[in-house]
Amino acid sequence: MTDPTWLRLGRSLGASAVMVVVLFAGSTLYTATGGSARELLVKELLINLMLVLGLQIFIGNTGILSFGHLAFAQIAAYTVALLTIPVAVKQQQLPDIPFGLGTMHLGAFPATLVAIGMALLVGGLIGIAVVRAGGIAATMITLAVLFVVDQLVKNWQELTKGAGGLSSVPPLGGTLGLWVGGIVGLVVAHWFAETRPGRFAVATREDEIAAPSLGIGLFGSRYVAWIVSIGLVGLAGALRVQAIGSTSPKQYTLDVTVLLLAMLVVGGMRTPTGAVVGTILITVGNEVFRQLGDPKRLDIDRFPDLFLGVTLLAAMLWRPSGLLGDIDLGAWLRRRTRRPHQPVVRINPIRTASLTASSIGVTFGGFTALRDAHVRVGPGEVVGIIGPNGAGKTTLFNVVTGLVSPVNGTVRLGEQELTNAAPEEVARAGLARTFQNLRLFGNLTVLENVTLTALVSAKYRPDEAPIDVAWLLQVSGLAGFEDRTASTLDYGNQRRLELARAAALSPEFLLLDEPTSGMSDDESIEMVERIRTMGAAVGAGVLVIDHDLAFITMISDHIVALGEGTVIAEGTPKDIRRDPHVMAAYLGSEARDDAAAAGDE
Amino acid sequence: MTTLVQNVVDGLGRGSTYALLALGISLIFGVMHLVNFAHAELITVGAYLAYGLSTLGLGWWYLVPAIIASAVLASMAVEITAFRWVRNSSPFTLLLTSFAIERLSHALWQVLVSPKKQTFAGPGWAFDTWELGGIRVEVMDVITIVVTIVVLAITALVFTRTLFGLAVRASAEDFDAARLMGVRANRVISGAFGFAGLLAGIAAALIVMRSPTAEPTLGSDWLIKAVVAAIIGGLGSFSGAVVGGLSLGLAEVFFRSYLPDGTAQRLTDAVVFMLIAALFIVRPAGLFTVKTAERV
Repeated sequence: MTDPTWLRLGRSLGASAVMVVVLFAGSTLYTATGGSARELLVKELLINLMLVLGLQIFIGNTGILSFGHLAFAQIAAYTVALLTIPVAVKQQQLPDIPFGLGTMHLGAFPATLVAIGMALLVGGLIGIAVVRAGGIAATMITLAVLFVVDQLVKNWQELTKGAGGLSSVPPLGGTLGLWVGGIVGLVVAHWFAETRPGRFAVATREDEIAAPSLGIGLFGSRYVAWIVSIGLVGLAGALRVQAIGSTSPKQYTLDVTVLLLAMLVVGGMRTPTGAVVGTILITVGNEVFRQLGDPKRLDIDRFPDLFLGVTLLAAMLWRPSGLLGDIDLGAWLRRRTRRPHQPVVRINPIRTASLTASSIGVTFGGFTALRDAHVRVGPGEVVGIIGPNGAGKTTLFNVVTGLVSPVNGTVRLGEQELTNAAPEEVARAGLARTFQNLRLFGNLTVLENVTLTALVSAKYRPDEAPIDVAWLLQVSGLAGFEDRTASTLDYGNQRRLELARAAALSPEFLLLDEPTSGMSDDESIEMVERIRTMGAAVGAGVLVIDHDLAFITMISDHIVALGEGTVIAEGTPKDIRRDPHVMAAYLGSEARDDAAAAGDE
Repeated sequence: MTTLVQNVVDGLGRGSTYALLALGISLIFGVMHLVNFAHAELITVGAYLAYGLSTLGLGWWYLVPAIIASAVLASMAVEITAFRWVRNSSPFTLLLTSFAIERLSHALWQVLVSPKKQTFAGPGWAFDTWELGGIRVEVMDVITIVVTIVVLAITALVFTRTLFGLAVRASAEDFDAARLMGVRANRVISGAFGFAGLLAGIAAALIVMRSPTAEPTLGSDWLIKAVVAAIIGGLGSFSGAVVGGLSLGLAEVFFRSYLPDGTAQRLTDAVVFMLIAALFIVRPAGLFTVKTAERV
């Protein structure tokens, strides 16, 4: 499930090494054929590489668009500048400098560390708000942050000397420092993809509702991604100012941000390989088009702008996932180094806790979705919930799994109170669910989908015996599909994968929302077997929703029938099939009259 | 007292232009969940057209309708050629598509005309002042405020009284449900872009009359404020966009006038953006929240 650390580190270093060799060969060839002036482009490429990899770590893995990363690179750059400019020069350039910075002086290395620390300090605080907000609100917070820092730098002249920027920063000789930075960026980006927070962050990117429902909280992994990415762009800012010898707010504007984002998305934001390819393409393309401009006419930017606009638009219209999509050197190495093994069968003992939801009430606005509804599933039992559309089945599920808060009632797992618990807490307590309209991690492979929940189980349910993922795939009929992208599976296999993914949590109960919807009768019957086998194997009870009476009576030990938000009948499948209320709900009011008449007799 | 009134007039003048732009952004967000960073490029289109026509010697009676018409057409053309093809993509893709168009617009004006600023003659009476009870107001301020009030009133009528307005509002609430009720997606979205273009065109006319210049980055300066105004109001909320625009305009003018001179004054924009960031942290969905629940 998780490879040993040496292997994961080895893959990160290996993938990075390949890229460094290619980059180094390319740039050596380029500078060797055209004199030292060409070193400028190499410097630009390496700086862009660090920044884009920094963006990839956060944006690529979490799917949250940030415009604000350059603000932290700028903070780091000015920190380095203010700490390394010789004291005499500083007193002349910035006579009113606050905080006693006028007499402070550090060497290149400690200044770089302090700068990264500053970026992390400010970024760490802002990141809490960004990551908590999520979605478009997060994007807008980062946009505001970019402008605040930009305005501060331009206008706090005592500290920054304003829009003209600061110069006389002792330059690092050559490009060595930038190469080191680039290598650090590559290794960190590849390594992050191998870590648990990295993989969890990807799950939150793929589905913001499914991830918590399987025990992956939205905040933790995303915040780790944010911190790592801020550290890297901080490093980029700190090295950039020393490589060029000066810094100015022009290097950290929204326009530059868009340029870097274009690099990220044109190559493919989901992988480090995509980020690297995009960076090379756009940086080189930009330079080529810059040469077309006429420097005398002040318009050297017009052709690069044209190039950028056309490239970005073309990418968005034709390949929104980038040129490479999910093609990644790191992922390829992961597949190549996977050690095949014989699936291990493990049958968990049936557990002892029951799942009880009692007197649940839910209202949406003025509409009462559930009134005094209840359901109880004993250990190892299979309970079905049935009812027509709008009866409140899924709402009851959502209450049990923490997606909807009830106005009254309680949810308990054994002794544990789960009413109003967050979805990830519910999942970690041992309730794993599937969704009516399929919520797979679509861009990930079949294997990764299942492995992710196995990772959750290993971290948050350490007392559970781990379930062998290979075996689970075999039982689900998905052996041989391990490396297929989940979204490319046919419908039936997607359903089976969702079931396997839930079972990998090694849960106390499996909660299945219409597991056979859209399936043929044969497939449904096969699914009955599969659900029963899988539940028994992981030792879990099953709570299953469906509106197909035949399926539910076939699979369940006990059935609860919902109608208009309340329990209208419950009992064994036999009882339910004969219940007049259920017949009425299913067959209409005439049936009810007939049934009532039959009942009176 | 007079400074106060003066500030209110200035703030409303600025704010009403923001409001017109923000309303368009909010409208487009409502129908297709796109934060359109290319929206303010419509101002640039209008400005260059006005510049072109004025070199032919045409007067402002011709320029103003031309500006408005060009913005409407450009807005609808961009929808048909670009946004229509990414309609069902993630907000992320939509956002970057709009950035690509913004960048292309900059580049095209640089290549077609010149990267330099083009200045032409404005209407002579724009900066005449009227004195009302000790308060001097510029003609342009009065025109801006009056035009905005009229336009917003008409917009309100369109949204509450016409079938198109109803369809747009229904789509903003739940596009799928609206489609099931027979709302035609292409027409509503096309219409929303056209209407947003109309509002942007009117804003462009007001902006260009006040400052008759055209340059490639003209739109960018307005864009951010307009987006921010739309977001303060809660994207997709039309009354929110108006409130957001007006309050942003007022906030800017008041901070500039009451913050102490020196560094603090120069930091007006920084302070405004800080407040906005704080607003998002407290209420991520903006002031006027539009509920969009995801079905599970």
